[in-house]
Amino acid sequence: MEALTLLHWTFDILLGLGLLWLGWRVLTSPDLFNAIVLFVAFGLLMALAWVRLDAPDIALAEAAIGAGLTGALLLAAFAKLRTVEKNHDIAGQLEKGKLENRSFQWWPATFLLVVAAGLGHTVLSLPHYATGLSAEVSANLKSSGVSNPVTAVLLNFRGYDTLLEMVVLLLALLGVWSISGSALPREAAPGPILDTLSRLLTPVLILVAAYLLWVGAHAPGGAFQAGAVLGAAGVLLLLSGWRLSSHLAGLPLRIILVAGPVAFVAMAVFTMLTGGQFLEYPRAEAGTLILFLETAATLSIGTTLAALFLGERPKNKREYP
Amino acid sequence: MGALLSEISWGVVLILLPLAGGIACFLFPRAAKVLGLVSVFAVLLSVSGLGWNIKVNGIYRHAIGGWNAPLGIDLYADGLSLLMLAATALVGFGISVYSADYFEREDAARFWPIWLLLLAALNALFLSADVFNLYVTLELMGLAAVALAALAGGRDALGGAMRYLLASLLGSLAYLFGVALLYHGFGSMDIAMLAVRVEASPAVWAALGLMSVGLLLKTALFPLHFWLPPAHASAPAPVSALLSALVVKGSFYILLRLWLEIFGPLGGGVDTLFGLLGTGAILWGSLQALRQTRLKLLVAYSTVAQIGYFFISFPLAASAGVTAWSAAAYLVLSHALAKAAMFLATGNVLRFGGHDRIADLDRVVQRLPLTACAFALAGVSIMGLPPSGGFVGKWLLLQAALTQDRWDLVSVIILGGVLAAGYVFKVIGHAFTLADISHESREVPAKMEWAALLLAFGAILLGFLASPVLSLVGIGVPFGVSEVSP
Repeated sequence: MEALTLLHWTFDILLGLGLLWLGWRVLTSPDLFNAIVLFVAFGLLMALAWVRLDAPDIALAEAAIGAGLTGALLLAAFAKLRTVEKNHDIAGQLEKGKLENRSFQWWPATFLLVVAAGLGHTVLSLPHYATGLSAEVSANLKSSGVSNPVTAVLLNFRGYDTLLEMVVLLLALLGVWSISGSALPREAAPGPILDTLSRLLTPVLILVAAYLLWVGAHAPGGAFQAGAVLGAAGVLLLLSGWRLSSHLAGLPLRIILVAGPVAFVAMAVFTMLTGGQFLEYPRAEAGTLILFLETAATLSIGTTLAALFLGERPKNKREYP
Repeated sequence: MGALLSEISWGVVLILLPLAGGIACFLFPRAAKVLGLVSVFAVLLSVSGLGWNIKVNGIYRHAIGGWNAPLGIDLYADGLSLLMLAATALVGFGISVYSADYFEREDAARFWPIWLLLLAALNALFLSADVFNLYVTLELMGLAAVALAALAGGRDALGGAMRYLLASLLGSLAYLFGVALLYHGFGSMDIAMLAVRVEASPAVWAALGLMSVGLLLKTALFPLHFWLPPAHASAPAPVSALLSALVVKGSFYILLRLWLEIFGPLGGGVDTLFGLLGTGAILWGSLQALRQTRLKLLVAYSTVAQIGYFFISFPLAASAGVTAWSAAAYLVLSHALAKAAMFLATGNVLRFGGHDRIADLDRVVQRLPLTACAFALAGVSIMGLPPSGGFVGKWLLLQAALTQDRWDLVSVIILGGVLAAGYVFKVIGHAFTLADISHESREVPAKMEWAALLLAFGAILLGFLASPVLSLVGIGVPFGVSEVSP
């Protein structure tokens, strides 16, 4: 037992130090590509830290979204920056910016240290263990329709927050589409390895997403994790040169993108029309309704993440000549 | 009819309606303009429904999902929420009418979904009674605002939007940190429950600091206003109007709500600090506005200055609560109307002449009389001349300051008005005179001129509506009970 505790301590200390070191390296790395790779590593370590804190749901989300998809988005942005640099020859200017950034500035550093010390003191002054609302959650878990407390909070007790979060994701995509220019021609044929890999992996990823969605009702998992895995499948397909056919790039794509928010809005209207409160599921059917909402949300999240990776609005000549 | 009106839960309608409208605009871009206008008009009607409901039944409360706080989220609306919702719907409708002619084809397809989702976010924000839910609405609002600010494209707009995005995210994260501290310390995220449970402790002070800094950053109070002028000045005119008139008010409303319910009783000199920063904002913003050579930047810096007035209320509220808070509420409402009118008028000038250099305005009065009139009327309210909403707000503020012998604040309020007169007359002066260079001009649709004029006229009209508006705001006693009545 003693040895095990010691092992845990050693592991946690190494993990903490590793996180700090990686964070510092990400911020100070002069090379953008290096910084992105380090950031992905940081995300994976962070996921481990969540596991150690007994928060497997957050760990899954951190690994899939924080490390995986954010990393992919950053790499996509990096690739685009390089084409811009080539076209406009602003590499020299970027170089200058880098040098300026690296010079150490005393005032911000002192200020940040003071803030960090104050916040550190505050966090240490907090009671070590706060029950929060966990007692209330477990008391009401039975009538929520699912047995995983995280899913119960996200889809039932605070389903309204999740509805708004779905809209946040949609808005992010709208924002990206409204400023992205015309699609860059990227018709590089994939190598044989990438091609085979994506053929093998895509079905597996879709299956994993479906499993995560299903298992979310009673164990760590759920719409956001499943959506992230689905998004990863989309990214893989996009990387191997696959593009949505132009018949589907218009309204059909948009319908899938808004399926999650629309399902929530429809559910809200349904619950209010049947005499309940806003998003008050009938107790007997709560589990089924939650699964329905989560399925729609997973499709939207996955598609939105893949669309964010692509960046440009898929071309549809009929709508925007 | 009455029974039907009170049976519908208007608060939920106010959130779902623009949400559904925004999604519909996204799905059917060709019909975006019509769908958008219809949705905004329906929101305006729903706000009247909610107002009627609140007037008859008192405070509106709705337990989402049938769980009550603290487990679930409650919607809540009193007079203050109603005022913000009404301001949003009114100004939003005016700007929508303007935008229907401003944005064409592809631009319209981009603008309408984002604007309707922004409207949903604002309504959700003003109806929320939960600090975490407020964070989500804040994030939604910020993201929509940034997307709108970037709509113009090009170097300036993208740079400004990027700065706006970073400031906005930093603000949200600081706020979220505060939420985490409050939840850990007191086991609830419902504002009313926190109000009962919170007591002075390091965690509460840290939460106050983090949430205040985050929200001040988003409200662009001096010296955290650095992101506002570039973002507001480089956006398309209706977007600048939305950002200046409504979006900065969203974060201010959260700060005001938290202060009234949770942090105010803690004391500790934070109100004095807010007053000082407000003073700084009034002086710095006005002086910067006077220095500008471009009209849009002038109007943007005027926003920086006017935000300062909202914060003058904090130090005055300690012993003249109702008067000072009523002043702030009135200033928020009249600034929303007047500033929207000013930005829309500026948009007309920009479209007409193709530029917004103040020195080359070249007899705008003769060529765009309605626009010039809108600008001047809005200017009257911004300066605080009678009769206007701005006058009522500043008068209440002066009253609160005079009863406490705060001559320092009295002089700041008056000086701010004089400086505002300086920058407004600078513009009007150039609008009357012949410029050295004459230029090509482009037709401005009548609807765009009338939208600006009617909003400005609303700001003036508020000068006559002080007592009904203030009695409406008083429903549910959002400002507490106080000894002085206006």
